[in-house]
Amino acid sequence: MASYEGSVQRLIDEFGRLPGIGPKSAQRIAFHLLKLPKEDAHRLADVIVEVKAKVVWCKRCFNIAESDLCSYCADERREAHLVCVVEEPKDIVAIERTAEYRGKYHVLQGAISPIEGIGPEQLRVRELITRISGEGITEVIIATNPNIEGEATAMYLANLLKPAGLVVSRIASGLPVGGDLEYADEVTLGRAMSGRREL
Amino acid sequence: MIGGGRAQTQQHVATLSLTDFRCIHNLDLVLGTGITVVIGNNGQGKTSLLEAIGWPARATSLRSVNDAAVVRAGCDQAVIRSEIVDADRRQSFEAEVRAVGRNRMQVNRQPVQRIRDLHGLLRITVFAPDDLQLIKGSPSGRRVYLDEILGGLAPRYAAALHDYDRILKQRNALLKQISRDRSAASTLPMFDEQLVSAGSEIIRGRLRLLDRLSDPMINFYRAMGEGGEILATYRAEWDDDAMLGSGDAENIEDRLRTAIERRRQHEIDRQVGLVGPHRDDIVLRLNQMDARTQASQGEQRSFALALRLAGHAVMTDILGSAPVLLLDDVFSELDTRRAAALVCQLPVGQTIISTATRLPEDVEVEQLLEMESGAVVVR
Ligand SMILES: [Zn+2]
Repeated sequence: MASYEGSVQRLIDEFGRLPGIGPKSAQRIAFHLLKLPKEDAHRLADVIVEVKAKVVWCKRCFNIAESDLCSYCADERREAHLVCVVEEPKDIVAIERTAEYRGKYHVLQGAISPIEGIGPEQLRVRELITRISGEGITEVIIATNPNIEGEATAMYLANLLKPAGLVVSRIASGLPVGGDLEYADEVTLGRAMSGRREL
Repeated sequence: MIGGGRAQTQQHVATLSLTDFRCIHNLDLVLGTGITVVIGNNGQGKTSLLEAIGWPARATSLRSVNDAAVVRAGCDQAVIRSEIVDADRRQSFEAEVRAVGRNRMQVNRQPVQRIRDLHGLLRITVFAPDDLQLIKGSPSGRRVYLDEILGGLAPRYAAALHDYDRILKQRNALLKQISRDRSAASTLPMFDEQLVSAGSEIIRGRLRLLDRLSDPMINFYRAMGEGGEILATYRAEWDDDAMLGSGDAENIEDRLRTAIERRRQHEIDRQVGLVGPHRDDIVLRLNQMDARTQASQGEQRSFALALRLAGHAVMTDILGSAPVLLLDDVFSELDTRRAAALVCQLPVGQTIISTATRLPEDVEVEQLLEMESGAVVVR
């Protein structure tokens, strides 16, 4: 493909590096931006800069946060003995929408996937173990995605945590198999949370 | 007709509308509920028409590995629209197949995210010119034969097959890592257990299905005018090539677990999964001899037709609704006697036959479409 003048091509290349955006879409978004009023383009640029400056990983649970602790870790009304383990911050949002859960969270930042070279070492598993002993956690709910990688991760964690005498449960099936928590509707996910099974 | 007599209803594709699909620029058709014959020389769009009719069943090309190959040269996308009738239900289907980028599908004007959400919308039985490979070809073709029927019968088999594929890929990647770094083995049991779970579901399904296929298959083979005794048996490579029957379906999980334990080191050495239904085969015999090598070409064709007809009959029987039959240029490969016998065995239901040559005389044609350069010629 022939390339464009300097910064336009650099912009296209940057968009092309984003997940799910092919060369054609990258080009379309770049040309859309060129046509935007200056203020609109600046607002987008500013929020990208701001997000990178302000947003960090919560030191405790690895959710996104704007200070050391995320809002869930900082909220003392939440039950501290109960932790729900998810793959990504977006899964917390999905579970919160159900209004069924009042404990803490732990974000693994992924799932076991040998194809992508991701094993337990690449996930926030060690940090979870440290939290369990340090925070008096007695019950762990595993809410990884109901797909191959999420199931493998759930089984791995269960094998690790059960011998330590913790109550370990997996959110109940009824979720669309092979799916993402993100796409489960609130009612289904709510039922899955309340009907979790012990591992 | 043998075996499939219990059909209460039949599915049929009532209308079809195509834009830039292979060599077809624009086409609108109303299809009959009986036998439609699509006649024309090679390369005029007959097979493309069958492919488009069957699209809602597989949501992918019946012929190409790459869906984009169906987009007419120089166009951005191909569009398939059809209406599918099942008993008193009429549903609309629409697919946009893109030359670049993601395809889009709708059922009843609602977007379809995942292929499994199409389950049951349309079921098809396809007879293709290379069906002889069912008998002569590699085991994978025979596995696909069973798996396509299973997937059409119940979403849970379609899900198990889909999962199994992913489990194999993950597990193979892990076996490669383990051969370099032993500590990676800590997550192997998690993939073993998922392989056992999805794998046993598939094997149980295949064993029970093969059991049900057996009688209709034998009857259809006889009805094709053949004399010998045919037999189809499931062979599990992972279980020391044991021949399994439906009676073995109960304890497949345990057998798979034992096999995985036993071949653990071998799998790590070879860096590939050796245990599971992905290496199994259906052994086909004629008069107790291997049909791949000992049957004549004509007998092999009859055997392949008997497998297809039996699959169709079993689907019809279990679901109470006959799938749509697509016969792609099948008669040109058959001698007069076998062609006539096949016509007699064709089950009731919507049947689309493509052909470059004359058909046997007793085909009860409801609709005749002549295709030339991607268009239906009106004479
Ligand atoms: Zn936190």
